[in-house]
Amino acid sequence: MNRILADMKAFGTQYLRSRVGTFFALVFPILLILLFGAIFGSSGSSPVTLYVQDVDNSAASHAFTDALNKTNVTTTRAIPSSADFSQYIRDHSINVALQIPSGFQVALAKAQNGTRVTVNLTLAGDQTQSSYGIAVSAVDAVATAFNLQVAKAAPVVNVLPTSVPGLRHLTYIDLFLPGIIGFTILSTPLFGMTAICAEYRSRRYFKLLATTKLSKPEWLAAKVVFHIILLFASVALMVLVGILVFGLKAVVTPMAVLIIIAGTLEFTSLGMALGIFVRDPETGAAIANAIGFPMMFLAGSFFPVDAMPAFLQTGARFLPLTYINEGLRATMTFANDATALVDLLVTLGFAAVFFVVAARGLSWKSK
Amino acid sequence: MGEPVIDVRDLSKHYADIKAIDGITFNVEKGEMFSLLGPNGAGKTTTVEILEGLRDPTSGEARVLGVDVRTGYRKIRERVGVLPQDFEPFDRLQPREAVAYWAQLFDRTLTKKEIDDLISTVGLSDRAETLAMNLSGGEKRRLGIAMSLVGRPQLVFLDEPTTGLDPGARRELWGLIRQLKKEGTTILLTTHYLDEAEQLADDVAIMNHGKIVARGSPAELIAQYGRGSTIVLAGAGEDGLRAVQARGITAELQGVDVVVKVPVASDMRRMLEKLASIDTPLNEIYTRRASLEDVFLSLVGARMQEGVLAT
Ligand SMILES: Nc1ncnc2c1ncn2[C@@H]1O[C@H](COP(=O)(O)OP(=O)(O)O)[C@@H](O)[C@H]1O
Ligand SMILES: [Mg+2]
Repeated sequence: MNRILADMKAFGTQYLRSRVGTFFALVFPILLILLFGAIFGSSGSSPVTLYVQDVDNSAASHAFTDALNKTNVTTTRAIPSSADFSQYIRDHSINVALQIPSGFQVALAKAQNGTRVTVNLTLAGDQTQSSYGIAVSAVDAVATAFNLQVAKAAPVVNVLPTSVPGLRHLTYIDLFLPGIIGFTILSTPLFGMTAICAEYRSRRYFKLLATTKLSKPEWLAAKVVFHIILLFASVALMVLVGILVFGLKAVVTPMAVLIIIAGTLEFTSLGMALGIFVRDPETGAAIANAIGFPMMFLAGSFFPVDAMPAFLQTGARFLPLTYINEGLRATMTFANDATALVDLLVTLGFAAVFFVVAARGLSWKSK
Repeated sequence: MGEPVIDVRDLSKHYADIKAIDGITFNVEKGEMFSLLGPNGAGKTTTVEILEGLRDPTSGEARVLGVDVRTGYRKIRERVGVLPQDFEPFDRLQPREAVAYWAQLFDRTLTKKEIDDLISTVGLSDRAETLAMNLSGGEKRRLGIAMSLVGRPQLVFLDEPTTGLDPGARRELWGLIRQLKKEGTTILLTTHYLDEAEQLADDVAIMNHGKIVARGSPAELIAQYGRGSTIVLAGAGEDGLRAVQARGITAELQGVDVVVKVPVASDMRRMLEKLASIDTPLNEIYTRRASLEDVFLSLVGARMQEGVLAT
C-alpha cells in the first residue's frame, strides 16, 4: 500500500510538472467543450434523427412534425404511411420512431371545441439508447406545447410510452458533455500510459523497477489511482465551464462517478496492456492513435451512435468506450440509472480483463 | 572465507544468432571490487542482468548472496543495489525526491537526515533541489548510485558507470566508488575502460565474445601478460628509429616516439645503457610499466578504444 502511494506521488509529481500532459488532461477537454458548444449550441444542429410515420397526414400532424424539427435536438425523416410501422423499424434498423395515428387532427379539433379526448402517439425504439431519451424529451416538449396552445392545457396529445423521465429543455451541451468526459476517460489514460510504457522501456525504468519490491499490479494500481484523481479534476472543470458558459443541466450523479472510476481503470489498464507491444515512443504513439482515434468517433463521443450507419452501430457494441459514453449520457442527462448500471457492469468487465492482461502480459525484464 | 557473494559456474546465455555468454565461471568475495572488463558486445551487461534476476540464463548456475537468482532474486533484492547501463534518472524529480521515492519502493522510509546524508555521500548536496533533467551527465550517474544505495546494499552492480562522461566526471565517480568499497560494500563493476579497471578493481575478468579470457588482479595480469616494461625515446622520430634498429634492437614508432619493449625486468638496466649511448636528438627517455592495455592487446590481439576493438 505504501509502495503504491509512493509510486503514485512520484508519478503524479512528474506528470504535473510536464506541462504537455497536464494540458491534454485538463485544458484540452475544456477547449473541446467551448468549441463544440459554440458550433452546435448556436446553430441548433440536431444530433438525433427521429423517424415519423404520419398516418393522419393532416395540417395538425404536419404542424407537429414541423415543431419537432424546430427543437434543437431532433430532425425528422418520414416513414411511408403505407408501411407496417414495426416491420419498417426492424428492416431499417431505426433506433427511434414516432407514429402519429389517424384521427390526430380530428381529436385536436374536438378538444378545441371543449370535448374531452385524448390521442396517443407511439414512440418506438430501443429505450437503452440515449437517442431514445432525446426523442422522448423532444416529443414530450412538443406535445406539451400543443396541449397548451391548441387545447388550452387539456392533455389531448399523449405520448406513449413515456417510460423515460427525460429532462426537458435539453441543450446540446447536455448531450455533448458526457461524450467529452468519455473522450477524456479514453484519451488521458490511454495516450498517457502508452507513452509511459515507451519511456519506461527505452530508458530501462522497467528493469530498474523490477529490481525493487514494487510489483507490476502495484505499479499499475498507482497509475490507475492517479488517473482517477486527474479525471475527477478534469470533469469538475468541464462541468464548471458547462454550467457557467452554456447553462449545463446534466448532473454528475453517483452512477456517473462509478462509471468514471471504472472507465479510468479500464483505459489505464488497456494502455499498459498495449505497452506489451510498445518498444519506443514512435510505436507507442502509433498504437495509441490506431486504437484511440477510431474508438473516439465510433463509440459516439462527439455524436450519438444512432446517427451512424447500421453496421457501424453494430461495431460500436464491441468498443469499450461505447458503454462509457452511453452510461454517462443515460445517468447524467436522462437520470436513467438502470441503463447506466448495465453500462457500468460491461465497463467493469472490460476493465478486469484489461487489468489482468496488462499485469500478466507486460514484461519488465528482457529475454 | 565464507560463501562467495557472487558465484557463477559455467554460465551461458545463447540467443538465436549469438552466444552472448559462453560458459563463464567466476566468483566474487565479500568486500571485493570485481570488474568485468571487455569491449562492447563482450557479454558484460548480459552477465550482470542475469545476476540481477532480469534475464534467465540458457544454462549454468548463478548464485548471489547465497540464492539462485533464477528463482530466488526476490529474497535478496533489498540487499542488492543496481545501477543499469546508460542510467538516466526520472527527468522531473529532484534528487531528494527520487531518493525518497526509491527507498519507499524497498519499504524504507528515509528521514530527512538520511536523505541528506545519502545525497551528500554522492556529492549532490548543491544540486539536491534541481530537476534531474537539468543535471550534468556525471551528476545523473551519481544520482543513480544514490538510488542504488537506498537499501544500504551489501552488493552493488555498476554497469559501465562512467561511460560517456568526461575525464573529470569519471575521476569524481572513481572517488565515490572507492569510498563505497572502503565502507565494505562488495562491488561488481563492468567497464570497457582499461584504466578504470586497473585503477579500481581488486580482481579483473577480461571478457571477449562471451568468454573470460583472463582473470586476476591487475598486477597479476600485468605480470603474466604484460610482456614487461617499455622504454620510450620521446620525440626521437624516424631518425631515432633507424639509429636504434642499426644496433640490432627491436623497436617501433608510435607517433614521434620510439618505443622499445623490455620483456624481462632484469634486462632493463642493460637496455637503458645501450639506448643512452645512441647519439640522436630526442626530448627525453622514460620507462613505462606495462598496463592492462598491453595485457588486453596481447590477449585479444587488438587495442580497445571507447569500447571498440581496433586492429
Ligand atoms: N535480447 C537479445 N537478443 C539478441 N542478442 C542480444 C540480446 N541481448 C544482447 N545480445 C547480444 O549479446 C551480446 C552481448 O551483449 P551485452 O551483454 O550487452 O554486451 P556488453 O554489455 O558487454 O556490451 C551482443 O552481441 C548483443 O548484441
Ligand atoms: Mg553493456
